[in-house]
Amino acid sequence: MIEYLILYLYTSLFIIFAIAVYGVVVKPNIIKKIIALSIAGDTANTLIIFLGYRLIEYPKPPVLPTLNPSRGEINSFVKEAVDPIPQALVITAIVINLAVVAFLVFLSIQLYKLYGTLDHRKILVRRGVGSEA
Amino acid sequence: MIWYSILLLTYLFTIAIVFTYKAVSEKDLVKAVVYSAAQSIAYAIAYGVLMAPDILFAYLAVGIGIYPIIILYAISKTRRFEEAG
Repeated sequence: MIEYLILYLYTSLFIIFAIAVYGVVVKPNIIKKIIALSIAGDTANTLIIFLGYRLIEYPKPPVLPTLNPSRGEINSFVKEAVDPIPQALVITAIVINLAVVAFLVFLSIQLYKLYGTLDHRKILVRRGVGSEA
Repeated sequence: MIWYSILLLTYLFTIAIVFTYKAVSEKDLVKAVVYSAAQSIAYAIAYGVLMAPDILFAYLAVGIGIYPIIILYAISKTRRFEEAG
């Protein structure tokens, strides 16, 4: 039973990622594309965190609460704590995603100042590259 | 205990699916930002359940505070509604 629930968790994360990629590819508005891109990045981060989770009774966060731990404390920490490396990677990726979204927002404001619209098809028409569909 | 955490994660990810669909299919961009912030709340609680408290705090500040603020700033400089077609 619990295997099916875990399979459902992975499937739901991939469904969210698919919806977000659909939003990036199909939706014409550039701000909508930025929102969908941020959702896709957060879903990838959540998937990485979920891969590092440990499916045992009473797992602990990977924080050692004492400064001079004894050998027994280190042994119980290794047996009970979840994997800390995905969390260290993800906390970097969240900040990088934030910087990327801020840069894309700046670019979209500049596009609106230049072309007067945020629809990427109309931007192509006004540049003289594409044709009106 | 493992049952509680897995069932809570199931509930949270189902909420995240619903809010992602609403955020992508919404025409009003301000409502889309609010839906994406609600989806960020679901992910933040999921990080707490998955035993990542440092990411919980960082993601609360980023996903519910800073993402909506900078996207709402962009919407205030441009148009609120998505064009049809």
